[in-house]
This record gives sequence, C-alpha cells and structure tokens, in this order.
Amino acid sequence: MTAVLEVRGLVKVFPGVTALAGVDLDVEAGEVHCLVGQNGAGKSTLIKCVSGAALPTSGTIRLLGQDLTTGRPGAALSAGVATMYQELDLVPDLSVSANIFLGHERRIGPLLDRRAMRREATELLARLGHATLDPDAQVADLRPADRQLVSMARALSRDVRLLIMDEPSAILDPPEVDALFEVVRRLTSAGVGVVYISHRLDEIARIGDRVTVLRDGKTVASNLPATTSADQLVHLMIGRSFREVFPERSAPRSDVVLRVRRLSRRPDLAETSFEVRAGEILGVGGLVGAGRTELLRAIAGLDPVDGGEVTVAGRALPRDRPDLAVAAGIGVAPEERKSQGLWLDWNQVRNVTICDLPRLGRGPFTDAAAEHRAAAAQLRSLDVRPDDPRRLASELSGGNQQKVVLARWLLHASAVLLLDEPTRGVDVGAKADVYRVIAELAARGLAIVMVSSELAELVGFCDRILVMREGAVVAELRGEHATEELILRHALRTGHDAPGVSP
Amino acid sequence: MTMEALRRVRVQEVALPLVVVLLVVVGTVLRGTIFFSTANLWNVLVQASVAGTVAVGMTFVIATGGIDLAVGSVLAAAAIVGGHYFHGAGAAWFMAGTVLAAAVAGAVNGIAVAWLRIVPFVATLAMLAAARGVAQQISHQTPVALYDLEALTRIGSQRVLGIPIPAIVFLIVVALGWVLLNRTRYGRYVIAVGGNREAARIAGIRVRPILFSVYVLVGVCTGIASVLQTGQLASASPVVGLGLELDAIAAVVIGGTSLAGGHCSMVGTFFGVITFALIFNLLTLENVESQVQQILRGVIILGAVAIQRRGH
Repeated sequence: MTAVLEVRGLVKVFPGVTALAGVDLDVEAGEVHCLVGQNGAGKSTLIKCVSGAALPTSGTIRLLGQDLTTGRPGAALSAGVATMYQELDLVPDLSVSANIFLGHERRIGPLLDRRAMRREATELLARLGHATLDPDAQVADLRPADRQLVSMARALSRDVRLLIMDEPSAILDPPEVDALFEVVRRLTSAGVGVVYISHRLDEIARIGDRVTVLRDGKTVASNLPATTSADQLVHLMIGRSFREVFPERSAPRSDVVLRVRRLSRRPDLAETSFEVRAGEILGVGGLVGAGRTELLRAIAGLDPVDGGEVTVAGRALPRDRPDLAVAAGIGVAPEERKSQGLWLDWNQVRNVTICDLPRLGRGPFTDAAAEHRAAAAQLRSLDVRPDDPRRLASELSGGNQQKVVLARWLLHASAVLLLDEPTRGVDVGAKADVYRVIAELAARGLAIVMVSSELAELVGFCDRILVMREGAVVAELRGEHATEELILRHALRTGHDAPGVSP
Repeated sequence: MTMEALRRVRVQEVALPLVVVLLVVVGTVLRGTIFFSTANLWNVLVQASVAGTVAVGMTFVIATGGIDLAVGSVLAAAAIVGGHYFHGAGAAWFMAGTVLAAAVAGAVNGIAVAWLRIVPFVATLAMLAAARGVAQQISHQTPVALYDLEALTRIGSQRVLGIPIPAIVFLIVVALGWVLLNRTRYGRYVIAVGGNREAARIAGIRVRPILFSVYVLVGVCTGIASVLQTGQLASASPVVGLGLELDAIAAVVIGGTSLAGGHCSMVGTFFGVITFALIFNLLTLENVESQVQQILRGVIILGAVAIQRRGH
C-alpha cells in the first residue's frame, strides 16, 4: 500500500493556546483511518492544517510523497485533498450540479455548460450508488443525507486522493449511516484514502481500518487496529498524564435558586428539568452539538422555547425576554466571549457597568466617576490583570476577559451564572485563576451552571454533573460517582450503563 | 486612553478641525475678506444648518449600524403636511405639525427595521419613494406659500445676538446630540447595540426599542431641519431635499462614524458638516459651476472614506 498522507510533528500555536503540539498521522491509499479524541484535542485544527484552511506553525505534511504547500486551500485541493466539514459547505440556493462544480464549472467559452455539468453530476452520483438524485434539485430542498452525497460528489469531481470526513454520521439516521458506509467503501476500493472523524466509537469497528487517538494536541496512539475496544479508546482519549488543581469548595446551601422545568426547544433541546441551589456548581457535559449551549440560551430567554418554565428564587421568568431574565438575576458568560460577551473596543469599565447604568447614573445621565469606582472595585476583587480599568477589553488575555464578564454580573448582583466553556481559550496557567474566581462566586451564594467539554473540570470542580446527548439530559452524576470515563460513555453512547447513574 | 484607541476613535476629531482651519486659511488667501468675514462665515453655518441638523440624527442611526435614506423626501413631505394641514393655525402649529409628521415617518421606518426586520437600506429606500409621493400628492405638485407665517419667516431673516437663527438651532441640536450620545444611558445603549448586538441582548438591553428610537430621532431632526428650510424659503415645496441623505450621510461618515456601527463621534459629525459647507462655500465664491461642485462632492466623499478606511 502507498501512503497518501504523512503528517509529521505538526504544531499549531494560536495566540495564547497551543492547539497542536506535535501530531503524526499516516493514511494509506484505500484505507479508512479513524481519528478520535475529546473536544478540543486538536482534531479540527489538524484537518484545517491538512486542507489548507489553517497555517501550521511547524511540522510537515506530505501528500503522495510530495510536500504540501501549507496554508493555501487551493494548493491542497489541487493536490487531491477534499474535506467535508460538519457544517456542510454547500450553497443551499444552487442546484445539485451547480454545487458539485462550484469553483470549477464546466464551460463553453465564457458560458456555463449546464448540460455537461448535469451529465457529469449524474455520473458522479451513480459512482456513489445514488444515480436517482436529481442534479437539478435545489440543495436547500434535500435531506441531510442527500446533501452529504452532494458534498462527496463534489469531492469526487476533482481528482480526490484523500477525503477528510468530519463527523459525517452525526446528522444521519441508522439506515442513512449504512448507505454512507457503502459509499465510503466504494471510494476506498477506488484507492482513495479516507480520514474519518467520529464521536461514535461503535462505528470504528464497522468502517475503519486503523485508528489514531489525539489528546491535548498530541498523537497518543497511532495506527491501532479498528478492533480496539471502545473502553480502551476512551481511556486513551482521557489520559492520566495531566491533572488540574482545583480550588477548595464550600458545600452548597439548601435553598434552590434556579429551577428549570420541562424546558424544551425542538429539535435542539428535549424537555429538561433540574434545580440548582445557592452555592452549587452544576456541570453540564456532553459533546459539541449535544444541546448544552442551547440549554443555557433557553434558560436566559435568548432563544424562543417551545415550552417549560424557568424560575429564579421562586419567581417565574416571562418567555423570550432576556432583559427581564437579567433583571431577575440571570447572568450569562457565553462561549463566544469576544463576539457575544464583550465590546472589545470598550474599556473594562464600560464592559462591566453596562447592566447597571440606571443605578450608577443620575436620571438619564451617566456618571463616569461612579462607573469607574464601581467597576474598579469589582475588577480588583477578581484580580484582573493589568490593574488598569481603562484598558480596552481587546488588550486583555482570555482569562482576564472572562473575569471582566464575571465582574459585570457580580456588580449586577446576579443570583445565577450560566457559564459556557468558561476556560475555553484560557491559558493552562490562567485556568486555575478562573476556577478560583468561580469557586469564590459559588461561596458567595450564587447558583452556577457550567457547561464544559473538559472532563477533568467537570469531575474535579462541579458538585453535580448533567450529561447531555442529542438535545437531552441522559445522565445525572453526583460528585463522588462522577468519573471522566462515565461522562464520556454517556456522552458517546457506547452502550454501557455504569453503576451510580440515574438516567 | 491607549494609543490604539486614540488612533481609532479620535483621528477624525483631531484631523477634521485641522482640515477646517486649512480651508479657512485657503479661503482667506484666495478671497480675502469676501470669504473671511463674519457675514460669510455665519452664512456657511446657515448653509450647513439643514443637512447638519439631519446629520446629528443620522449619527445615531449609523451608530446602530443602520442608515436612513429617506431624510430628503421626509423633509419635503413633513413641510407639505405642516403647510397643508397646520398653516391656518399659526406658525407654532405649523412647526409642531412638521416635526410630528417627520417623526411619524421615522417611526414607520423604525417599526420596519426593528420589528419587521427589514434591512434599513431597503426600509428607508421604500420611505424615500413613498414620502416624496405623499409630498406631491398632498401639494398637487405645487409649493405651499407660507409668507403669512411671520414667526416662521423670521427664521430666515432675523438674527439673535448677531447670529442667524438657523445657525443657532443647528448648534443647539449638535450640543444636545453630543450630550445624548456621550453622557446619557440611552447613548451608551445605542453604541452598545451598534457595536455588538448579541452582547447587548445578553446584557439585557432591549435591542428593538433602541433600533426603533434612532429612526424616530432622525425623524425629529429632519422635522426641525424642514422648519429651518421652509423658514428660509418662506414656502413648503414638494421638491426640496433632493440628495439631502447624501450630504447628511457623507458628513457623518467623514466625521469618523463607522457604517458598520459601534464607532461614532458627534464632534466628528459636526466638523464633517462644517468641512463640506466650507468647501462648497469656497467653490461658489470661486464661481465653480454647480454641476462641477456635484462631481467634486462625489470625489471628496470617496477620497475621505478611503483615507478613513486606512486608519482601521
């Protein structure tokens, strides 16, 4: 067999975060190579580097024995790399054939040769075993499975040697998954190398030839046989090398602050109910796309819900009114901190006081001195560095930006904090600092819901953990029963039920 | 304030006054006291007053990331509505009716943008067409003479403390606009919504009422400008205000307010207005034909915005 892809010592450093710290990957012609790892292990960054969407900091990528020009999607495409991302990159308003030939349309002189594209599209779809798909149909009208076929046909329309599939089965029903695997086998028998990323570990034995495991941006196991057990893979994905140090926590109090009852928003969120007490940190685990962010947004009234009720300190919140949720004491620290949490070109003071202008001003007017005093006190209590409230938010590190968001809700005397991946994009060293602040807030009696993809964070830091999968809470784990394996198993649906689980 | 912030926010507030000084020097060198006289300089402010008053409201709209293309048509329609329905009741009623009519047009824009979620460009483009039609329909395409409203015509003829009334009104509107934008909670919310709509929502700011309000605000400013205009002409005409939106938007953008929202400067808008007025005053004194002035207007807008983009 010949090597299609050889990745050696790949490193990718983003400002403040090392996403890849030396990754090796070998894919041979005609094989399906599965790539597994936790959220944030570096899978997405790796495929972005291979497909040219990101420029690696160091390391080599060789395709069919040739060094690949990195950081140029065009170079990767013409070298035969095709990528199917999770969010399919199709143009919904164009037809199937137009999408397949997007960017390399068949032409007669300056005009589009629609007939040739239609004919070739049908041929490509026939090669995938789906000759019946109408090349004139609008992509917007297709089912997800058919869209995926279009995406694959597009990959085939160029001379593809390596196909990267990022969670292709995530949006498919079981029969559709069977059909997908059939298509993948047709491709590999034609000599195409496939990198297959999936969180469904049970699929690996069915479709894969070999497995590589990533953790913390490194290859921790490569070229394992596809028969490797799910237990062993989970163990490799979690690792035991790295332990966070979490601050001491005081015990939660008995009074319930946040009560969520049968809250639902189809199809993202099935009916969900839980309570959070004062001083409690409730962790929410699950894979990306399991509905965790949607849960937080539904609680805060940011997205319309189908049904259910949220009460804060016994008082029900009206629906679809984020302003009244804030007034009732709900504070949100969104995962997209820069685009949703902050005004980056505002100084820290303004970012902190935005919810409290009526209280800090006189009549309709703002009072800059009062704002500065109030904000500076909160920022100092959270130890924001540098200690200069006039510094713009854009000039702060990720951890300090997070503290600015928290300072806003502290100043507002919020009773509930909804934290979405609070340590995402925060340096390893600064994470301990963020944990300390969150622990302090809990000790002050705030009820905290914390969505996290870091299993160690959930197990080591939270009083209770809800695990979500496909929009529903599938398990609730109490502190002493929670282990990283257990969380991951529930999140992945590997079929085991472990003791200590109340579904 | 850091250097970066200084560069980003304050460049127009520093550079534009220098441009204004430069224009005054050039004008004085070229035309001497014909240009550099109290009479002519007040005249510049009077010429700037209509577009300038509108530009104050426009600054708020653009700060939210919106735009109002309808101000020229609304200016005409408001005066026609005022002249047609409130003429007999006296000058005060005429003024109130005109401002109210323009505010209603702004409210319609605001509802279309905030609640019907129509892009501001399209919503106000529709109003641009409709308001002009209203003006022509009500007036039967003929101007409404308002000579008999003495209190109104005084706007064009009298001075207070030696200052022409339109100039006074313009300066007051600018000052109020500055306070509203920079010293009130409302102004902060406008900038917050323009700078990061989702962050504003998460922080509990009611985004739609803010979006709605800025269109009402520019409507009120347009109504005031309409009163200034009719006062100077002593009549309400269905064809005034053509291209007014261009003058107002250009002044705001040259003043450093970003069309993307979130960055805005009332001081910049003021100097943007003055810069334009000085340039066209000079060109007129130099007997440059109005068609040529119109071409230069386009060139200046393009050049100024290109320079501004390089600062970002």
